[in-house]
Amino acid sequence: MSAPTLQDIRCCFEGIIPAVVATCSAEGVPNVAYISQVFYAGERHVALSFQFFNKTRQNILANPHATALLIDPGTAQFYRLYIRYLRTETAGPLFEGMRAQLAGIASHSGMQDVFRLLGSDVYEVERVEALEGDPLPAPPPRAGLLGGVRRASERLARCASLDEALNAVLATLNDDLAIHHAMVLMLDPGAQRLYTVASCGYATSGVGSEIGLGQGVIGVAARERTPVRIGHMTSAALYTQAMRNSFDANVPDFEAVAEIPYPGLAQPNSQLAVPIQNGGRTLGVLFVESTQELQFSYEDEDALVAIAGHLGATIELMQATNEAGEASTPPSAPGTPTAPAAAAPLVVRHFAANDSIFLGDSYLIKGVAGAILWKLLRDHRQLGRTEFSNRELRLDPALRLPDISDNLEARLLLLQRRLAEQGGALRMEKTGRGRFRLVLQRPVELVST
Amino acid sequence: MAVPLPPDLVAMMARGVSVIVASRDAALRPNLMRAVGSRVEEDGRTITVYLSRRQSRQVVQDLAATGNIAVVFSEPSTHRSVQLKASRLDMRNADAQDTAVLERYRVAMEREIQQVGFAPPLTRAMLAHRLEDVVAVRFTPEQAFDQTPGPRAGTPLGSTP
Repeated sequence: MSAPTLQDIRCCFEGIIPAVVATCSAEGVPNVAYISQVFYAGERHVALSFQFFNKTRQNILANPHATALLIDPGTAQFYRLYIRYLRTETAGPLFEGMRAQLAGIASHSGMQDVFRLLGSDVYEVERVEALEGDPLPAPPPRAGLLGGVRRASERLARCASLDEALNAVLATLNDDLAIHHAMVLMLDPGAQRLYTVASCGYATSGVGSEIGLGQGVIGVAARERTPVRIGHMTSAALYTQAMRNSFDANVPDFEAVAEIPYPGLAQPNSQLAVPIQNGGRTLGVLFVESTQELQFSYEDEDALVAIAGHLGATIELMQATNEAGEASTPPSAPGTPTAPAAAAPLVVRHFAANDSIFLGDSYLIKGVAGAILWKLLRDHRQLGRTEFSNRELRLDPALRLPDISDNLEARLLLLQRRLAEQGGALRMEKTGRGRFRLVLQRPVELVST
Repeated sequence: MAVPLPPDLVAMMARGVSVIVASRDAALRPNLMRAVGSRVEEDGRTITVYLSRRQSRQVVQDLAATGNIAVVFSEPSTHRSVQLKASRLDMRNADAQDTAVLERYRVAMEREIQQVGFAPPLTRAMLAHRLEDVVAVRFTPEQAFDQTPGPRAGTPLGSTP
């Protein structure tokens, strides 16, 4: 058997079964220690997590030779890496990538208070040795990942709206990559929070549920701009906890009913969060999970990064195209009010403190999307308007849209989907590029608090 | 002189937890391998670790040449770990009288590893060996260090000789 390459043994770099590293002092005393993380840092290098000032650390500074023992968590095949310490990095993409992955490893091993990355110790790999043994048969290689990426690309290229693009991605994951639980969250850069705009495979869509930047696997992936993958989770406690506090508790009459439940699996055993980026900015996160352990490999990560990249470019291109379209489209004549007068009025309450909106007793939405809906309803009541454009919302100073980087399209989609889930008494319909109509099936009574 | 070990730690080691053995050669290059079994006797004063030779040729050679050994015992479900060091050891080939020890260790490890979510076949593959290929390495710990991840990692246990 020819010596394996680091690429060949990427499955050992998961931190699922911790690696072990032997070092030797200048006096000739060997030392052996568990290491949370051996990170793939290119074909000739690995980085080991430096978390504590311990004997390993003292030894490599005096004698740079070390040997790491890795195991394939699927087959129990052992490998030794003969490595030589080069340097320690405490900032930059390698460090941030490891820190994010370590956060995942820590959360899955219940060591979140203990595991903290002080540095990335970079080693040159001198030799990789595959050990003799009786490993389990390797599972057959996954076929069709590249085909799935191609299908996502083709589907995205046909999309003309954010709605379609998100559906295209979720459909590809489901149909071509056998990933049945997924969600897309968009970043609100002003609030430093991520909000769910689309999901599949859950009992409730969870559209509108929020996660703070840096919270849980999804929040860390967004903050650190790096994929975070966990293949073996015995408890999701930390992660589900990160989903709480997603609304302002200090707003009166705004109790737990106002929290849109996070839709995720109660017992996820594999999770992968990939940042959606474009032009150097983070737009959101593509997140997938499974009840099965070790469900997502490096190859799945490769596929999702490629798909998320394509989605990011599509979202940004759509926004630019829509803005151009909005500017060139003449405003249409005001529509006629659509509410049949006979139906009982729907009470719509608005809480100015956080722009939260309730339809009757049901919480609908808050924040920018809430402010947008309130503006639409007031314009409807005062001016009888039903036809609106994205452009006027963007230019409305009262809405305080953060800036050009704000994804208005995503907020409108969120609002549209939340309204649809609330039974359709109020509805938003797309009427053209950058234009939409507010449809009222019942008269509304607006109450501001 | 043996370093005294806390009884609860000896109990953990004796129960059968993960064991990794490290060595170094004359050029101070370290090597290591997972043991396929362990035995703790005399309140931790005598430790035997078992290595599968085909996976540990350099380690066995280093141990024979230098007598320097470092061994970490670690409980996968709690990360509780201790490292033992010695500068003298003796080695022999495993034989039929070790079978029961190796078998007991495998059963304990299957249970341990299952607690962190891996089914027994993986543990069996991880510990696979042929008895005639196994080396028993016996030593008396001269130094012991708390190695549970955290700020106390590396703290010496007991009094060092």
